[in-house]
Amino acid sequence: MRAEELLCDPALAAAVAAATQRLPPPPAGQREALQAVLERTERAPTEADWPPLLQAPREKKDTRYADSPTSHRPVVGPALVLAKRAFRGLFQPFINEVMRKQVEFNEAILDALVLIYEQQRESASTQAAWRKEMGERLAHLEKTRATEGKPR
Amino acid sequence: MRSSRRPNVPAPARAVHQFIPRIAWGDAVGNQVRYLQALLRGWGYTSEIYADQFDEECRPLVRPAEAWPREAAEDSVLLIHHSFESRRVPLLARGPGRKALVYHNVTPASLFEGFDRKVAKACEAAREELLALRPCVEAAYAYSHFSAEELVAAGFAQVSVLPFALDWGAFHAPADPSLQAEFDDGCVNILFVGRAVPSKRIDDVMRVFAAYQRLYQPRSRLLVAGYLNRETPYGTYLHGVKELLGAERIHLLGRVSAAQLSACYSVATVYLSMSRHEGFGVPLLEAMERGVPVVAYGAAAVPETMGGAGLATRTREPEEVAQLLAALEREPSLREQVLAGQRERLNPLRQEAVAEQVREGLRPLLESSPGPRPAPSSDAGLRLVCPGFVSRPSAPASHLARRLAGQFPGARVLSLSPTTSLLSPGPLSAQEGTTSLWQFSPDQPLPAGAASSFPLPSSSSLEMAVRTSPSPVVFLDAGTEVARHVLPHVRERAWAVHEAGAPVPEAARALGTRLLPLVAGQEEATFHQLVESLRSSGEAHAR
Repeated sequence: MRAEELLCDPALAAAVAAATQRLPPPPAGQREALQAVLERTERAPTEADWPPLLQAPREKKDTRYADSPTSHRPVVGPALVLAKRAFRGLFQPFINEVMRKQVEFNEAILDALVLIYEQQRESASTQAAWRKEMGERLAHLEKTRATEGKPR
Repeated sequence: MRSSRRPNVPAPARAVHQFIPRIAWGDAVGNQVRYLQALLRGWGYTSEIYADQFDEECRPLVRPAEAWPREAAEDSVLLIHHSFESRRVPLLARGPGRKALVYHNVTPASLFEGFDRKVAKACEAAREELLALRPCVEAAYAYSHFSAEELVAAGFAQVSVLPFALDWGAFHAPADPSLQAEFDDGCVNILFVGRAVPSKRIDDVMRVFAAYQRLYQPRSRLLVAGYLNRETPYGTYLHGVKELLGAERIHLLGRVSAAQLSACYSVATVYLSMSRHEGFGVPLLEAMERGVPVVAYGAAAVPETMGGAGLATRTREPEEVAQLLAALEREPSLREQVLAGQRERLNPLRQEAVAEQVREGLRPLLESSPGPRPAPSSDAGLRLVCPGFVSRPSAPASHLARRLAGQFPGARVLSLSPTTSLLSPGPLSAQEGTTSLWQFSPDQPLPAGAASSFPLPSSSSLEMAVRTSPSPVVFLDAGTEVARHVLPHVRERAWAVHEAGAPVPEAARALGTRLLPLVAGQEEATFHQLVESLRSSGEAHAR
């Protein structure tokens, strides 16, 4: 550790840096093994987007508003569309109030689902890393056994 | 009953209430609120705590937040504690009386990214609420200069720093004998205290411990005391890291009682924190009070909290930090030197002194009438966001910033400062030749020498200054954390430069023709294109 890396009194920083210099240097093999272990624990960056599985429910969570009304009927259609729009325009505040609890529930359930999804992903990635490490350890043991020859 | 007629000039306050979204027994913000209430009542004020959520222990102390507008009078003062999303700004805005903000800082959302979307979103919302609170409050207080800088950057009037009051008596609860006996067995005990949330980086604490145990002290143990939810992505991740590190004797204790915490401190050899964000780090001082040397990564307000005592580092490399643990364990004289510094640090924080400072800090608010609100700053010069301007003066982005500042009168360079200013609550302001420069505290320390390979960290205060300024803004490096965080908020008035060949963030791509590549050896072309683009937009006026 260099003294410049410490945010404290310069005299103390120098004393600490000198003390770290006096530490017995760890064996190179141990340091390499440590680096390998530390690298294994580093987390791969995760995507910022929502999981595709939950994208559709997320888009539908707000039940207060409907899609813009349309109609294919030539004559009655525009009148229907107009009536629907007028209905929505008039009653939207009441619809919002009726749907408020539903929207809150949808948001809460979506939060819970995404938490479960991400926890499972985390668990799976840890297990994969753990299996990989076990495999490597086994391979190392087998290699050591092979080079040492038959047991005495 | 509330008076129906508003007096023209409010008299000094008789009641000083506090609002906090959620309060729990034992959490740092909650403790502070209860302490302030005791102080205020001691000074003769009526004082209630209003909250939306509270635990059973706090129930007798708290009134529901909805009751505040009915119960408060026009001549009362409300201290609004802000550290997380409250969804209460409309209620606070329309309620009676004078209001002041007490800012405990909000964790940057980016520290929760990839672990907890809901909390990340709530942190974003909390910063929006901070901005929404500006017109409601006549003064703003922070518990560190680091936090105060963000308030100044956000445009709050009357910003000052209050000393953080600690109940030292509570740190000396009798130790739990069984836990003490279990851990006091000759092993070196490394301790961390805090909730298991991504911003605390308990995974880094475990990495440092693994390095220490493997390279220096096999007979060592790590104690992590604080709430841990196994059923969250971060909880799962922590258990995974623990398994993968293969270190022995890592104890994730979960939530502990005061007696158990006391036992942990009594057996601790060193306190280790690798937290990436603290508005004020109470456990750091608690460890100092208990005579445990502190080693901490110097992020956010950590160095300020430690006040030069203990060992705050610029690096978070596990092997490097492990060396500090080993040096403190092996060299008693060094350990004693560190402990002496820590004792000295605690001297000005004794309760009587702090109570007096808090009273002095609050006096202008409590004992005077509100003065006229200062007019918003009319400084609308071009903002040149160049985080590496001070630490990497010869980088192409810094050269470009310097040239642009010379070209546009009133332009200001916004950069990261290598240190936090303890002299004033605002950012460091300086003049470098003809260039006007503002330096903001980074959220994480810049490494010594600021190696060009080290990605420059974010800065909550710099980001806030850019967001709240009405000026056109140029990001001299679209790839920095600062640009990534702020660009979505200021897209309409932003230009950006990106290093040719480097990946371009999504937010910068949306700028279209206002995003220019910086090709090595062709800086001149980029400069002229940028000047032309700024001039033709009419947003900035060149010389």
